[in-house]
Amino acid sequence: MPVDVAVGTARGPEPGPDASRTKARRNRRLHLVGAYTVLTVAAVVIVLPLYITVVNSLLEEGQIAQQPPPFFPIHPQWHNYSTAWNQGHLGFYLRNSLIMTAAIVAAQLVTSILAGYAFAFLRFPFRNTLFVVCLATLMIPFEVTFITNLSTITSLGWFNTYAGLAVPFLATGFGIFLLRQAFLQIPKDLQEASMLDGYGHWRFMTRVAVPMARPSIAALGVFAFLAAWNQYLWPLVSTGGTTPLDTVQIGLKQLVGQQADQINVALAGAVIAFVPLVVILVIFQKQLVRSLTAGAVK
Amino acid sequence: MSTAVATLEGPGGPALPPGPSRRRRRVKEAALAYLLVLPAMAAFGVFVFYPFVNNFRLALYQSPPVPGLPSHYVGLHQVGQVLFSNGYGFPGSLLTTIAFVVMVVPLSIFFGLALAVAAHRRLRGIGVYRTIFSSTVVSSVAVAALVFGTLMNPVVGFLPWLGINPHPPLLESPTWALPSIAVMTIWQFLGLSFIIMSAGLQSLPDEVLEAARIDGASSWTRFWRVTVPMLSPTIFFAVVVGTIYAFQSFGQIDILIGYANNPARLHVNVLVYNIINTLTQENNTGVAAIMSIALFLVTLLLTLLQLRFLERRVHYAR
Amino acid sequence: MRRPRLRGTAAAAVAISSLTAVSALGLAPTTPLPPAGAASLGACPLKALSRAKGPVDITFWESMTRANATTLQEITNAFNSSQSKVHVTLVAQAGYDDTWQKYTAGLSNGQLPDIVLLEDQRTQVAVDTKSFLPVQSCINASGYSTSDFLSRALAYWKINRTQEAMPFAVSNPIFYYNKLAFQKAGLNPNDPPSTLAEMITDAQKLKAFGSGMGLKLDPWHLETWLATANQLFVNNKNGRAARTTKATFDTATGLQIFTDLDQLVKSGDATTNPASGASEFDNLLGIGSGKYGMTIDSSADLGTISQVLSSGQYPNVQLGIGAFPVLNSSIPGGIEPGGSGVFIPNRVPAVDQAAAWQYMQWIDNTQSQATWAAGTGYIPIRKSSTETATVQHLWTVSPGYKTAFNQLNNGANDAATSGSVIGPYSDVRADILNAEQSMFVGNLTPKAALAQAESAVDATVASYNQRLGAS
Repeated sequence: MPVDVAVGTARGPEPGPDASRTKARRNRRLHLVGAYTVLTVAAVVIVLPLYITVVNSLLEEGQIAQQPPPFFPIHPQWHNYSTAWNQGHLGFYLRNSLIMTAAIVAAQLVTSILAGYAFAFLRFPFRNTLFVVCLATLMIPFEVTFITNLSTITSLGWFNTYAGLAVPFLATGFGIFLLRQAFLQIPKDLQEASMLDGYGHWRFMTRVAVPMARPSIAALGVFAFLAAWNQYLWPLVSTGGTTPLDTVQIGLKQLVGQQADQINVALAGAVIAFVPLVVILVIFQKQLVRSLTAGAVK
Repeated sequence: MSTAVATLEGPGGPALPPGPSRRRRRVKEAALAYLLVLPAMAAFGVFVFYPFVNNFRLALYQSPPVPGLPSHYVGLHQVGQVLFSNGYGFPGSLLTTIAFVVMVVPLSIFFGLALAVAAHRRLRGIGVYRTIFSSTVVSSVAVAALVFGTLMNPVVGFLPWLGINPHPPLLESPTWALPSIAVMTIWQFLGLSFIIMSAGLQSLPDEVLEAARIDGASSWTRFWRVTVPMLSPTIFFAVVVGTIYAFQSFGQIDILIGYANNPARLHVNVLVYNIINTLTQENNTGVAAIMSIALFLVTLLLTLLQLRFLERRVHYAR
Repeated sequence: MRRPRLRGTAAAAVAISSLTAVSALGLAPTTPLPPAGAASLGACPLKALSRAKGPVDITFWESMTRANATTLQEITNAFNSSQSKVHVTLVAQAGYDDTWQKYTAGLSNGQLPDIVLLEDQRTQVAVDTKSFLPVQSCINASGYSTSDFLSRALAYWKINRTQEAMPFAVSNPIFYYNKLAFQKAGLNPNDPPSTLAEMITDAQKLKAFGSGMGLKLDPWHLETWLATANQLFVNNKNGRAARTTKATFDTATGLQIFTDLDQLVKSGDATTNPASGASEFDNLLGIGSGKYGMTIDSSADLGTISQVLSSGQYPNVQLGIGAFPVLNSSIPGGIEPGGSGVFIPNRVPAVDQAAAWQYMQWIDNTQSQATWAAGTGYIPIRKSSTETATVQHLWTVSPGYKTAFNQLNNGANDAATSGSVIGPYSDVRADILNAEQSMFVGNLTPKAALAQAESAVDATVASYNQRLGAS
């Protein structure tokens, strides 16, 4: 619960009712101003790199190397964005990222819901062991497994394909953990009531459990989307770079390399890559926070 | 699945009359369960556990310097060479990575905490500030690298305006490249750090903080003597997450430094960057596998160490 | 319960580390040294092409940009419309490194081109993949005459008398300077320095009058100056007679080169910039802005830099071109060629290989090389091309383009001036660059830096040979 800033009222002797009230009000205002100043300065510092990026993306070629650097584009060159889109193939890259991410998110949601359900509601031998196995996958970073994964998808003929991009990420221990947690919250009487009503597992899962676990499922979905969209290592090695199948992240790297002197175009590309995510952040902030803090707060 | 649907029993199952029918239902339940976990387990088996174990096999084979030629068995000979000599740059990478973690994690935690405390107030418009502070969590390494790469560019960046004209430029300087990339990583990690710290703050009970204030403690004392100790589980979690994240850095270095003749390349050779280049540029699968195993062990060790030592310091509210 | 567990873990750790340390001490098994060039020629399947019914479609992986890309497309279009048996599609790659990475990935995943443009330093490693058809095979099979070519241009891509690939985009380093800056410093603007020693004194004078020299940190300084002094860079005739096993540059000549470069940089007369990244063209752009009065760079940049400097943005510049300042004018050395050559993979269908050979002959014929030279600034590698109106006109209008050609055409023609063939060439160059950096920025003396370079190169080459010989 946020702490109110009305500090100072409890300190020291009270010189007199009116004087103390004005003093308290002045103190409060000072504190408010101080608080807002600190917050604004911090916000400016954090947003500044992004702001400069947007400004630079709208500059003309001749202006980019200007010193002192312009803080506001007087003649915004919106065509930089269309150049990034066309010559920089950003449209393709966005599409590729979208296909890969959609596949990964869908797969992760399905596998996590199914496995989470089993761990939460079913009894079977080795249940705890298997759950620990799922959690153990979180200890093995992707950087350790990608070598063999690369040769696996190559031998399956999936090098530089959408399948190859998505397939190593079909399941996630984090998702299973999150959803099992969510399913465990469903009260037992509800289970028993639906059972009495004649629900089998399938109906219970789809009609009761999944709808009730919607917040966690949304949280997982947003988290999985972000993680998949922002991936760099796997798209780089599984497509070999410079291919039509590049995702946005790899596309940005190509953009930097090819348009070294046209950095305004490259930055336009970065803005294009970043803006959808900011939109997602604003809309799904609550879900995102929930998934990211799943392990932090009990 | 159809058998499970057909039964009148739902999840868990109530007390049943003992006997063969109960056993049969248990078997059906188990069968259903295995079916449900099968997709995830299969995925883990093929793409997590098999690759992990395969590294140990790959480590025993020396790869040819060009792809397409066969590897041959050398046993543990290669392992010693990689881990204990600087032939493949492993000890150097390890040190560089540790230095990078030290540069990134403490500052990220500190700033995240500071921001979280600053934003932990009932002020008008605080939501906007909180969104801004969390915004960097959605940036990818590619975007962040591009953004900061531009800022630090000697021609188009902002440093000349501030009077800072380093020669060689920051991202090509053996001394300053790694710290510059650390600054970028701190910025990018700040969003997550803020979110974690915020969540932690919001879970703190007001009464203790209130009591401290009424007792006359100053904000500073309150912060250090009360807030931080109570937040220690959250801080601890953030440190673990941050350390593992920083340890696995790769994308930003690949974009900002690349592999070509950048004189700073040898000084930013963090572990994952080394592994990737060993695999793709030198075609040295065996050596890359060895370094991956080492990466896994170091990450595991770090996590266990933190669990052991930091947890002792963690103050659990009674 | 903690102590016993720790003890157990510690014991295990000690055991593992001692085991691996012991095995590291163990001697590596000695492995045979593979030959330098291709082991066998292979067959050039010319008949497959003559038997082919319809047009054969082939892909060419190349990494040309801008004007160079346009010129290549012109030449390719001319080929495609001149006959109907073969149709070539250009597939642009992001750069030389990228091309090589994709090619090597292609060896596992099967996505290979029919003809590929590879950077000069990849020659030996390309041969080592055993995945290319030596061009000699097609030269023999079709009775192709190579007498018209500049002998050093061919020699670069010839290992042990086998032509592995054909040269295509050939360049070498030349000297760029600002005549006005020279005048201002009291130097003769029509007399650029012809030796390294002269270059150093000129840099001093330029610095005294406000400019100085831009020195790009290219990794080929050492080998190029060695070649001008007719000295080998690595043993076994620069890797051409047999596979190279060690470096041979830790000599008095090598020391002189390092000492001179060190003096140039440490005195402040020259300012360095990296050969890649944001500051890649600083040395050339610096001539425009007046920061530098002279620099060394590839002749391949001449076209671009001429355009930039005459754009009107740089008023105080009159671009002059000179020959690469040799180490010692009394030693008959030569400038080694560089650039890229075209290779034919042998894992693509036979008919595609034959089609690739047809295309290769076209892009290296007299008229194509003339067009190529005029459109890009690369050296026309056929003597007959230099006699065409296209090239004669180019050389009259911009005599600077002739400099690179003269450098390749003149001088000694032997192993020392034909460039080196080394498997881990890019790592070797990186070793040399590191040593130079330790000298420029670190505290190493030129002697120590040279020794460091040699031992690093020896280790790199030995490791590569051992891995290759063992497979």
